[in-house]
Amino acid sequence: MFFRKRKIKKENPIQAESVSDLWLRLENVPDFIHFKHKGEHFHCWVSFIQTLADVEYLHRDVFPYLYSDKVHSLADVQQQIPIERMIRTKDMAVIQAKLFEGYTIIQEYEREADCLIIPSVKIKGRQIEKSEIETSIIGPREAFVESADANINLVRKRIPIPQFKFDELHIGKISKTRVCVLYIDGIANKDNINTVKQRIRDLEVVSMIDATMLALMISDNNNSIFPQYIDTERPDRVAGALYEGKISVIIEGSPNALILPASIIEFFAAFDDYFLVWPIATAYRLLRLFAIGFSSVASSIYVAILTYHYQLIPDNLIPSLFTSRTAVPYAPFVEVLVMEFMIELLREAGARLPTKVGQTIGIVGGIVIGTASVQAGVVSNFLLIIIALSALSAFITPNYRMATTIRFIRFPFILSAQLLGLLGISLCFLIFVSHLIKLTSIGRPYIEPIYPTRVRDLKDTFIRLPLNYQNERPLFLRPGDSKRFNSHRAHQKAEVKKSELDN
Amino acid sequence: MKIKVFFLLMLIPLLSGCLPTSTLDQVLMVEGEGFDYLGNGKIMGTVVIPSFEQGASQNGQGGGMQSISSTIRSLSGVTYDGKSLADKFQSEGQEILRVGSMKTMIYDKKLAKFGLKNQLSFRNRDPDVPSAISIAVVDGSTKELLTATDYQTKVPIARYIQHMILQNTQQNYPSTNLRYFLDSYYGAYMDPFMPLIKKSGDHLEMQGLALFRNDKYIMSIPDSKMFVFKMLYEPFNQGFYDCLLPSGKHIVVRNVESSVKYKVEDGNGVSPKVVASLQIKGYVRQASPKTVSTKAASTVSKKVADDLKHNAEKMVRQLQRKGVDPLRIGDTVRSATRHFDGKTWNERYPNTNFSCQIHVEVIQTGISS
Repeated sequence: MFFRKRKIKKENPIQAESVSDLWLRLENVPDFIHFKHKGEHFHCWVSFIQTLADVEYLHRDVFPYLYSDKVHSLADVQQQIPIERMIRTKDMAVIQAKLFEGYTIIQEYEREADCLIIPSVKIKGRQIEKSEIETSIIGPREAFVESADANINLVRKRIPIPQFKFDELHIGKISKTRVCVLYIDGIANKDNINTVKQRIRDLEVVSMIDATMLALMISDNNNSIFPQYIDTERPDRVAGALYEGKISVIIEGSPNALILPASIIEFFAAFDDYFLVWPIATAYRLLRLFAIGFSSVASSIYVAILTYHYQLIPDNLIPSLFTSRTAVPYAPFVEVLVMEFMIELLREAGARLPTKVGQTIGIVGGIVIGTASVQAGVVSNFLLIIIALSALSAFITPNYRMATTIRFIRFPFILSAQLLGLLGISLCFLIFVSHLIKLTSIGRPYIEPIYPTRVRDLKDTFIRLPLNYQNERPLFLRPGDSKRFNSHRAHQKAEVKKSELDN
Repeated sequence: MKIKVFFLLMLIPLLSGCLPTSTLDQVLMVEGEGFDYLGNGKIMGTVVIPSFEQGASQNGQGGGMQSISSTIRSLSGVTYDGKSLADKFQSEGQEILRVGSMKTMIYDKKLAKFGLKNQLSFRNRDPDVPSAISIAVVDGSTKELLTATDYQTKVPIARYIQHMILQNTQQNYPSTNLRYFLDSYYGAYMDPFMPLIKKSGDHLEMQGLALFRNDKYIMSIPDSKMFVFKMLYEPFNQGFYDCLLPSGKHIVVRNVESSVKYKVEDGNGVSPKVVASLQIKGYVRQASPKTVSTKAASTVSKKVADDLKHNAEKMVRQLQRKGVDPLRIGDTVRSATRHFDGKTWNERYPNTNFSCQIHVEVIQTGISS
């Protein structure tokens, strides 16, 4: 067996050794076109992959030049065809890679490595559409698509300066997926850029399907349930992050862009906060933070109080709690687990089913299971309210990844509430806090404005102060240029305003 | 290896987590305790547990079986000093009795005269019971008060008592609960007090204040004098004073502000001089016809002030005669006197020269004119 394994490896490496080897391998591939062109003055071999190359374009703009009487050699072809970025090479790695990107290869002799590579990539993909996952009521609606070029185009439109740069890397032993690291030179921290690039380069993977997969692989702590990178499908959010001094990663074939480094507060900030007046935006952020706190501990506090701390129940709540509890045969712990399990089932079923069926699931879950389980005495109706509210609160999180984390966090809390009551909840909370304090995102502290405490950065976290007060970029990014604008001038201009009524 | 240790550590809470639970619907929550003195050191103790059978059926739509929510309402029995009634009655309860959500403790007058030392000290040491529970002396039997079924209200009796006391402390009654009582009980140069309640027919009523020396009931202040007591005891608002004018007419004043300041002279002398100066702002709530008008406001306030002064000085003289100091005059003198002579204070207290300076300001007389 060992022997056989080695033999296969030797016989069939991914990289073809020579041009003729490559052609031989592609012999039985149906969409591989390989023919000899016999013109009056010039003979050559043309090869491309029909499904990847833009055939119409080849017929219209490339092949006519091969018939031209001015063409006698490959060098003449290169001179005559008015296409940019043609490559003439003998490097087998480039030839093979380009062929599979949709380039056309022209040779004078079939068995010689000397090739002219002409770009003829067929661009076929989804149109740019409205964002569907990170929806916002006001603000831009465009969302990323599966083409990296289109995505970079969307970002570049918003950052029209030469300092906006991106570095291309190719990862995946077989897939050679194109990964672009986007940043603004001078604003983004150089260490951050290097860390990201090095981590991507060091990856040992066969293929890379999506940016979120990359995010999991390059995160600081793979075992943490907290996402250490923001993934977004909104180009405006990426542009905003780049202006802030962050780095973005875009992958060919993925409609998600990564933004890094990230701090925990950003997961709870919706991007439309920036489009609202600051008191309202602040109120919404605080609402969201409250919802997250509520969502993660509400059911465990229910367990703790009903199991151990009956003293804490307000007097007027005791009768209604008592009467709804007496019909339930289980301990509060089991009751909560049953209910949480139901909600998770509903959510998972709703996420996997097509939209129209998903609505039915909502109705089935909400009305049938909810009401019926209370009437059957499986859960108390008081708990039903708590669970429904905490599920709603978890969905309020703008970031899907964080929403799943918040939902997951409940279970250790519930377990510790059952074991030790409120003391257990606080111990569990302590464990999470100490984990968060240790956590980093590409080496930058994850819960930055809270610990280490940076009062300056607080103005765009729990609260969002007016935009003319946001004159400094976040401290934890260590940006190359920390000042956004001159705050003195910003305030000076704001003060000039005079009432027209006085004149 | 690391993972093995982790799993072993995880097993510790799972295997050793045997904290006794008290699930809400599997405990009997004792909400009130009553103590009656039988003589010879024997006490009749009564505990009350709220019963939630009302409205329980709204939940039991699933089957024909009756909900099991109804609980016993009260238990009582003879015990030697009333210590920990919950433990004594455990054998009679269908579930575990817990005292964590205690609302009231009441004592009958006989026990209060005998002394509350035992009941207070064990309650003070019990970490399960909140110290903010209402306490009261009952004129009559506590067992009868707690177990009677002829009340107009369906509110559990312990809450009824607590709400009544709390509601009254926002008006004419001084703040009272177990914590305040123990503060005065253990504090030097002050004496504790608690409200005096009585069951009259189908309802309860506040009868005034029961005053204690140490743990023994000495005397009571009637309900009608509560305004005078409270204005000397603490600053407050929303109290009301029914002033009987010499002409036989009534004026009811509701105060929006009342503050008291004590001035002490000769604190270590044979008869220390204590002057209480009070500022009271109030509005006329009710008045007999033709007693108030905007012009006569100043004369009205003079009359009310004189009446208050007369009553206050009379009350303090009475307290001095009985040797109880619920107004904490002793503590006030101590705080204003350097090298206070505490040992002789008890002898000097009855000789203390107390006087009042009251300034009443009537800020509104109503739409009378």
